[in-house]
Amino acid sequence: MIKSKSKNFKKPLYVLYPGEYYATEEDCVLGTVAGLCVVVCLYDPAKKIGGMGHFIVPGVMGTEGLYRDEIAMRGVTNMEHLIGEIVKLGGDRRYLCAKIFGAGYAAGNGRNTLELSESNIHFIQEYFTAEKIIIDRIDLGGEFRRRLYFFPKDGNVHRKILENNEEGSEFIRMERDYIEREFINREKAGRVVLFQ
Amino acid sequence: MNRYIMVIDDSPTVRTSVEYSVKSLGFPIMQAENGVDALAKIKSIKGAGDDIAICVCDINMPEMDGMTFIGEFRKTDKFTPVIVLTTEADESKIQQGKTAGFSGWLVKPFRPEQLISVVERFVKK
Repeated sequence: MIKSKSKNFKKPLYVLYPGEYYATEEDCVLGTVAGLCVVVCLYDPAKKIGGMGHFIVPGVMGTEGLYRDEIAMRGVTNMEHLIGEIVKLGGDRRYLCAKIFGAGYAAGNGRNTLELSESNIHFIQEYFTAEKIIIDRIDLGGEFRRRLYFFPKDGNVHRKILENNEEGSEFIRMERDYIEREFINREKAGRVVLFQ
Repeated sequence: MNRYIMVIDDSPTVRTSVEYSVKSLGFPIMQAENGVDALAKIKSIKGAGDDIAICVCDINMPEMDGMTFIGEFRKTDKFTPVIVLTTEADESKIQQGKTAGFSGWLVKPFRPEQLISVVERFVKK
C-alpha cells in the first residue's frame, strides 16, 4: 500500500495492491484497480469506520458448501482480516454495509479467468448471505477492470470502467503475481502454538 | 453430565465451520458471538450441572474481545482449556495471549484435521 494525496478529492489517498486490506476511521480515500480479484468495501455507517479488501478466492469452490470447503475458507479468512481490522477500530460486524466490485474475467493471466470469476462471484453470494451483511451495491463480472475510490467515512464509491490495458497497467502484473502466490499457498494452514 | 465445546466467534460462517470440524469428537457444541454472550452461556451450562470441555475463541469481536473474555473467564475457571482461533499472527499478541491464560493459539486459515487434533489433545487430558 502506498500513501499519497489526492488532488481531485483533496484527501489523503491510500492505494491498495492485490492481496492487501486496510481499515480506517480517517477522512481519506482508499483506491485500487480490480481485475479478476474481488474488492470488498465495508463500512459501519454509525461509527463512520470503513475498510477495503482486495483478494481472490484461489480456485473453484467445491460441492461441500461454504462451511466445509477449503478453497472458500481462503476467502473467509481474507474477509476475517478486513472485518477484524474494522472491529479493532470499534466497528460492529452486525451493522456493516458492503459495496463489492471486480471479478472481471478479461484480465488474462494464463488461468481460466471465466471460471475463477464465476467462483469468486459464487463465494461472495454465499458468504454475504451467511454473514447477513447488507450489500448496498454489487458490480461483479464483465470483461473489464474497474478503478475504484472508496470513502470510508461515508461509504461512497467512485467507480470507473477500464476497457483497455493502458490505464493502471501495473495492477495487471501485480494481480497476476498475487493470484499465482495464492494458488501456490492455498493449501497452507496458519501457525499453531500450544502453551500447555 | 454433558461437557460442551464452546465456539466463540462473531462470524457465523467461522462458528459453523468450526462446529462442522469438531462435531466428530462427539461433544455437544454451543456457539457464542462474543465474550459477553459466551460468559452468559457458560454460566447457564454450569448452572445446569454441566461443564465446558474446551472453548475455541476468536480475538477481535465486538462487545467483548477474546483478551477481555479470557481475563473474565480465568477469574472463576483456572483449568478449562481455551484455545484461540484468529487471523492475528503477531508474536507479541501471541505472547500476550499466553500470559492472559489461553492454552493455545491457532492462526486462520485452519485445516479441520489440524483443529480436531488440537482440540482432541486438550479434551482427552
